[in-house]
Amino acid sequence: MGKASHLLALGAAILLATAGARAASWELDLDLRAVTSDAQASVLDGGYGPVRFDEHQSGLQLGRLRFALDAPLGQVWQLHVDASAWGNAYRNPVGLTEAYLQFRPYPRHDLRLRVKTGAFYAPISLENRAGGWASPYTLSYSALNSWIAEELRTLGVEATVDWLGTRRGLPFDLDVVGGVFGWNEVAGAALADGGFILDDRQTPVFDRVGKLEGASGAYLEPFREIDGRAGYYGGMDLNFPGRILLTALHYDNRADPRAADTAARVFAWHTDFNSAGARVEYGPDWTLIAQWLAGDTEVAPGGASLEWPFDARYVLLSRRFGSHHRLSARYDRFEVDSRNTQARGDESGRAWTVAYVFDSGRSWTATLEWLRVTGRSYAQSEYLGRSGPLTDTQLQLAFRYTLGSAGY
Amino acid sequence: MRRSARPSPSLRRADPILVWVALIIALSRSVWAPAANLAVTVRLPDGQPLADAVVTIQSVGKKFAPAAPIHAVMDQLHRMFVPEVLVIPVGSSVSFPNSDSVSHQIYSFSPAKRFELPLYHGKPYPPVLFDHVGVVILGCNIHDWMIGYIDVTDAPFYGTTDSRGTWTAEVPAGHYEITVWHPRMREQTPALVRELSIDASDQATLTLELTKALRPEPMEGGPPSWDSY
Repeated sequence: MGKASHLLALGAAILLATAGARAASWELDLDLRAVTSDAQASVLDGGYGPVRFDEHQSGLQLGRLRFALDAPLGQVWQLHVDASAWGNAYRNPVGLTEAYLQFRPYPRHDLRLRVKTGAFYAPISLENRAGGWASPYTLSYSALNSWIAEELRTLGVEATVDWLGTRRGLPFDLDVVGGVFGWNEVAGAALADGGFILDDRQTPVFDRVGKLEGASGAYLEPFREIDGRAGYYGGMDLNFPGRILLTALHYDNRADPRAADTAARVFAWHTDFNSAGARVEYGPDWTLIAQWLAGDTEVAPGGASLEWPFDARYVLLSRRFGSHHRLSARYDRFEVDSRNTQARGDESGRAWTVAYVFDSGRSWTATLEWLRVTGRSYAQSEYLGRSGPLTDTQLQLAFRYTLGSAGY
Repeated sequence: MRRSARPSPSLRRADPILVWVALIIALSRSVWAPAANLAVTVRLPDGQPLADAVVTIQSVGKKFAPAAPIHAVMDQLHRMFVPEVLVIPVGSSVSFPNSDSVSHQIYSFSPAKRFELPLYHGKPYPPVLFDHVGVVILGCNIHDWMIGYIDVTDAPFYGTTDSRGTWTAEVPAGHYEITVWHPRMREQTPALVRELSIDASDQATLTLELTKALRPEPMEGGPPSWDSY
């Protein structure tokens, strides 16, 4: 994994060196947080809590330090590199959350082709639409998208074909997407062990999610290839630009749950799911987003299958007031089942998030977010001895300063 | 999206989806003014004026030559085409300066004009010649949401409505076919063709009210970096 990571960094550096500095655009963000929390430690700190910052982390925290670069390479290729530091590093203090080359030929006969290769997010989230896969609505992502940030990344190739109805006088485009990837065969382990969390730390490619307490005490490393089988996803979007976006996707990492990397003592986790979502924008001010994801992760050490079906969904409503103010509220539900005799990994929970964003219109934004998660889980009752539903509350004030060239 | 410059017989029937609010042809004759002042006003169903609607006027019967070619400018500012809609006589040329600080890469695959302008800032390219009639839809290959329209017409009289929804022209007496078009109209184009006789009069006013609201404008509320993926 380390080698692959270095290769990726080397490739990016070479491409950067050849990229014309003239046409490139870059961005540097610093996001600082004032936090007060009564939560238990999350998987990021070896616990089972559902939010990023726990009760021992109240005070000033680094939200994120990010550098991003977009550089055209000739006419139809573009390089995107996104590097971040999150303050809680497990392997490297700075990591790449995304790094890819995109092929963008001119559209022909109302068909537009886009091909990405490298490391990037599968097109699932409808809320993480700002630079750096951030959400413009809240600091903490939904449970569904926090899981994607934690464990999922396409390390491979993705092709999108858009049929441009909007260039034919129709109100919509129809998009078909397909991806093939590897090195993501431990995805699902964090769900089975610690359940869903709501946070905004994105695991850098080939880095670690966090440290597990409980059973093994090992680090979770989702970005491993164990059985040599490629995974895939395929989906469709119906897009009324700027108005309505409907999306559906099937994802399967095709890992063989009996396969294991004996040297690293890691099993392959077979994870597959379906997801669907809708985003409706009403006028320039109102946004409604709903997403649903349901699937299953399975591991079969020694042939004995252990399965954890999971599902997560949320509804987010956001309203912009003038050009400086935005208020958003989100309701999350999430569940992990266990098909094991022990019920290890069972959890269910719900969360309310309310966030206010002040956008100065210049280089800085301020965000105040209140997040309350209520849930019960096997891990909490078994390892922490706390039965019954637990409530964790986190309040964050973020100040984000952005430097950069004109942007995208 | 392509529309014919010639009338079809069905257009002469009264169209139920279109409301004629007013058609006043004042007959205050004037011996010295064989040309009439024609004012065409386009309104939305709620009565609000529709700006940037394209109005073209073809003569029925007596032939007029297409209007003289012009040189027009379609700028790119804040990652949008400005203006979003342009109407030009066939044979005209259009410059596409880029006033943004980021590069654009303009293309069209419309049958009336296929072209590409490789990545650029400022004003590096000569104007593009539009020598076929039809609607040309423009996009930017870097900013997928950018969309612009150029209506290339062989009409002798043409223009776009102003902020009050009105376009005025001086038109010789005669029998005309008036077409109104806007890229976000839901009405089929033939529904917005009307015939009008301007017979030795000097003042004609035509007000059209759409029966269907425009298709919504693409969102402009988000920062440019949204959906950059």
